[in-house]
Amino acid sequence: MSVWLENAIARANSTSDWLSPIRSVSLAALKDTPWPTRKTEAWRYTSLKSLERATLSPSPSVNQDTPEQIDGFESFNLVFRNGEFDLDSLTQPLPAGLMISYLPTASEEMKQASLDEFSQIKPGRHLFGLINDVLAQHVVRIEVAEGVSISQAIRITSLIGLNSESHTRVFVKLNKGASLTVSEHYQGNVESLNTGFVEYDICAEAKLEHYRFALQTDKAISLGGCHFKLGERADLNSTLVGFGSDLSRVDTDIIYDGEFATAKLNAFYLLDGKELFDLHATVEHAVPNCTTLENVRGIVADRAKAVFNGRIHIHRHAQKTLAELNNRNLLLSDKAEINTKPELEIYADDVRCAHGATVAEIDKHALYYLESRGISRSKAQVMLNFGFINELIDQMPNQVLAEWIRPQIRNRFAEMEVTR
Amino acid sequence: MSNITPTTEKSMLTITDLHASVEEKNILKGLNLDVKPGEVHAIMGPNGAGKSTTGYVLSGRDGYTVEKGSAVLDGVEILEMEAEERARAGLFLAFQYPVEIPGVSNLEFLKASVDAQREARGEVAYTSAEFLKLAKEACKQVDLPLAFLKRGVNEGFSGGEKKRNELMQMILLKPKLCILDETDSGLDIDAMQVVANGVNSQRSPDRSFIIVTHYQRLLDYIKPDFVHVLSDGKIVKSGDASLAKELEAEGYAWIHNEPKDELEGDLL
Repeated sequence: MSVWLENAIARANSTSDWLSPIRSVSLAALKDTPWPTRKTEAWRYTSLKSLERATLSPSPSVNQDTPEQIDGFESFNLVFRNGEFDLDSLTQPLPAGLMISYLPTASEEMKQASLDEFSQIKPGRHLFGLINDVLAQHVVRIEVAEGVSISQAIRITSLIGLNSESHTRVFVKLNKGASLTVSEHYQGNVESLNTGFVEYDICAEAKLEHYRFALQTDKAISLGGCHFKLGERADLNSTLVGFGSDLSRVDTDIIYDGEFATAKLNAFYLLDGKELFDLHATVEHAVPNCTTLENVRGIVADRAKAVFNGRIHIHRHAQKTLAELNNRNLLLSDKAEINTKPELEIYADDVRCAHGATVAEIDKHALYYLESRGISRSKAQVMLNFGFINELIDQMPNQVLAEWIRPQIRNRFAEMEVTR
Repeated sequence: MSNITPTTEKSMLTITDLHASVEEKNILKGLNLDVKPGEVHAIMGPNGAGKSTTGYVLSGRDGYTVEKGSAVLDGVEILEMEAEERARAGLFLAFQYPVEIPGVSNLEFLKASVDAQREARGEVAYTSAEFLKLAKEACKQVDLPLAFLKRGVNEGFSGGEKKRNELMQMILLKPKLCILDETDSGLDIDAMQVVANGVNSQRSPDRSFIIVTHYQRLLDYIKPDFVHVLSDGKIVKSGDASLAKELEAEGYAWIHNEPKDELEGDLL
């Protein structure tokens, strides 16, 4: 076990608050979980060495950063600084049917009710999920009442300073027929650790549009997750954008709890230098008649490394499941690395499933088409490589967020060198 | 052999004894053709004669090997050039199957094409605003909704929309020589008429056209000055527009050559 984890456990042991009942359960699980090594399947390609070496301080430094302005994005802003929730976030007037609660100061009834929800969606196998369970204190709960559509998005920003730790935790509940957009933003480039976990309970006929921008770079370590439970005829449209850092990983789970629910997950990552980005995505088709469309793409340059594990598990009774999983990667240098493992595990016999993982080649036909119009080969290659990712930006339902992230992706891409 | 009398007048395109192969199969076996500025030539012929290959070889597609011969475009030999250089030299191929490129917007593609060609001519690139104005005009000219500029290149376009998008590129690029490869394929009469009107609007004394087609019907709308019959890699008969009518009535059976393997279309 790492020194850091030992300290973290000691810290958790000495914390006593309303979350203690949950904390003790997760602490027990954590003590039984061995610290991952190369032989641990879920961590085979992702080393925790940078975390072991990092200088981190549990007492947060002062952080006066403010979230980046996104022009035209209408949102309620929830801000965490070094893991501490900014209470000013709660002063904005909210529309009827939307409740945002900061649990440490919430009523006893709400705290008790929240304990029953806490960690019920996020599976217990995620090591850093357990760590977040025991270290998270500033828990925020968001709820949309039955049948209510909230037009303004909720933007959750996690800001982090040098040597800080941030263990943010959010629970989102969409009651029957509700609809909401949530955009999670993680940024930072200094030595730090962020475990940001969000659980989404999407009840029957509810609709969630979700974004997670995992944009930490350089020395910012990020080990977080987002976990969705979908009720009958619920609908999830999620876009996940990843930049790489010394250590950056997202675990995501989609769990079908009611029939005729649909989830579309688009994820893309752009990695350069010695960056690492790891996405573990698991979809549990536990009930019949649900549909998953999962499209994951990456561009990996220089000596960067991408890890993708996409597991779709179709349970025995989950007949009439439709599931598609695709992972395509463009490697821009000979030293760039992608470790991809799509896994379809099917126990039902009446399902339609497809999966694939490829190291993509530029489409020669498309290249010729561009060249035949006078565009140079090198320029055409750049256009097609960028187009490979841009296609998923085009699919983002929120145009404002698409136009906000597009130039950042374009700039990041422009700095990448093609050497192969 | 073409029966057009060679003249001393300047040519837009002169193809001399062109032999070309694809995957070690000889397709063009001594093609000769002379196109003067402003002329419209139709190349007709049975499947496998080498019609599409002619367009690909001239435009410089990978995988098509020139074994022998020359092609001079407005005084410049083009067969040694890269595809993009040929385009910059003024050659334009309207594809039979325009490629869908999701993620690259049509507008970005059009601007990159026009910029590249302007740059090659030593002209300054248009600003985004200037270009947008030109693109919108071209879009209207070919009767495509403006939203098509924002969409991915040909992404989800119908057959007719793809052909109109080719036409839009032609309008913006102002080439010297346009090769239309089976532009009528997959189009109904109405769609074909729209495309034909667009092509006719681009005819000018300093622009030439080669219309490659299997059927005569497109030539009802775009009147050719000359019609050539291509068979087994060379031109076996040439004439005026009436030759197309003759072919329609009699088919290609009188050419006693067996059609060769289908090698046109998508070589992927």
